[in-house]
Amino acid sequence: MGHKRSGGSDGTVIAGMAAGTIVEKQVTGSYRMLVVDDEEPILFAMREYFSTYGYRVDCARELEEAEALVLKHRYDLVLADLRLTDIYGAEGLSLIGHVRECSPRTHIILLTAYGSPEVEHEARRLGVASVLHKPKPLPEVAQIVFGLLGARSDS
Amino acid sequence: MKPRSLLDTLFEPGAISVVFQPIVDCRRATRRLYALECLVRGPAGTNMEDPEVLLEYVRRKREEARIDRVCVGTALRAAAVLPPHPRICVNVHASTLGRDRDFVTFLAEVAAENGIATTRLTVEIVEHAPPWDGPGFLNALVALRERGVRVALDDVGLGQSNYKMILDACPEYLKIDRYFVQGAHRDPRREAVLESVAQLARRFGARVVAEGVEDEADLAAVTARGIELIQGFLFSAALPMDRLLESGILDATFPSFPIREVAPPR
Repeated sequence: MGHKRSGGSDGTVIAGMAAGTIVEKQVTGSYRMLVVDDEEPILFAMREYFSTYGYRVDCARELEEAEALVLKHRYDLVLADLRLTDIYGAEGLSLIGHVRECSPRTHIILLTAYGSPEVEHEARRLGVASVLHKPKPLPEVAQIVFGLLGARSDS
Repeated sequence: MKPRSLLDTLFEPGAISVVFQPIVDCRRATRRLYALECLVRGPAGTNMEDPEVLLEYVRRKREEARIDRVCVGTALRAAAVLPPHPRICVNVHASTLGRDRDFVTFLAEVAAENGIATTRLTVEIVEHAPPWDGPGFLNALVALRERGVRVALDDVGLGQSNYKMILDACPEYLKIDRYFVQGAHRDPRREAVLESVAQLARRFGARVVAEGVEDEADLAAVTARGIELIQGFLFSAALPMDRLLESGILDATFPSFPIREVAPPR
């Protein structure tokens, strides 16, 4: 996809991000990510935050919406909440399988406030790069995101 | 209060809009407007503005019949101001025809309310899901044809638009997907597919519509195979009704310049 990365190790990227330098935007720009959460404030915050780093951020509130977007667009990273409604409770895992099938190279991060060793094990089995437990400060989430995308562009 | 679901927002009045893309008859040197395909758009500024995302979402919610009714209603209300000559093509899921037993009646009623003869209508069958109610589907096709509605099979060569569907639906039109059309002039394998579909259509007494024609080279490749109904940006983008009316497209002779108002889906 022609991503460019001017930083060195993942640590460099994270340090740049924390310092808010111009370099960090060159490092992180041009990626496309999908954020999936049923809470509008979280979607808003994620979109605002990552957009400032040059990311193109799509947001989805529902599993089916996210699945439709994944079919249409190629994402570098999907950041999904485990629980999108009160009814089923683990739609995030369904989405992971769909993403894996449609776009094997896409990085996936799972966010959950209802984590358990079983869920985490299943998520890892499905190829999730990282399982993060809510609440998680946005800069910490960003560190993981930048680390993953930077790592891939080096590979 | 429970927040509105995304699905609910799609079915609010005015959420769905329709644009029209010409299908041009290139049989003669003078190209003429043959039909207008009604294409749906979701709410502006949302993920659903993209029709592919919108329809995939609706399919996953198993609400094809509901969205088809909204789309057909919106399209025919907008088409009421059209002159009487171009055919009007509306997209309907095969599963809708199979499951919604009143759909054909609904279609006829909406057409009548808007002064549109059902003989001007073409139902373009789209389907992305495996088996639906087969007998119900076939009955609906009979009911459509009793009202003079013609049937087109959309996306021929992809998904469920396969030989079985061609046999079952016996469509008057086969719409060959842009995947097979674009680049055909420099790809003998695509040319072979076009030729095969054209031959198949002739055996069925059907006509082929080539979708996604964007340049003269592909137009030449398509017409060389006897495919004369052409849809694509070479002639016009999909236009909202006001732009369509002022574009000149509705005149007897098709303008020689492309009309590009609405950007292609992302």
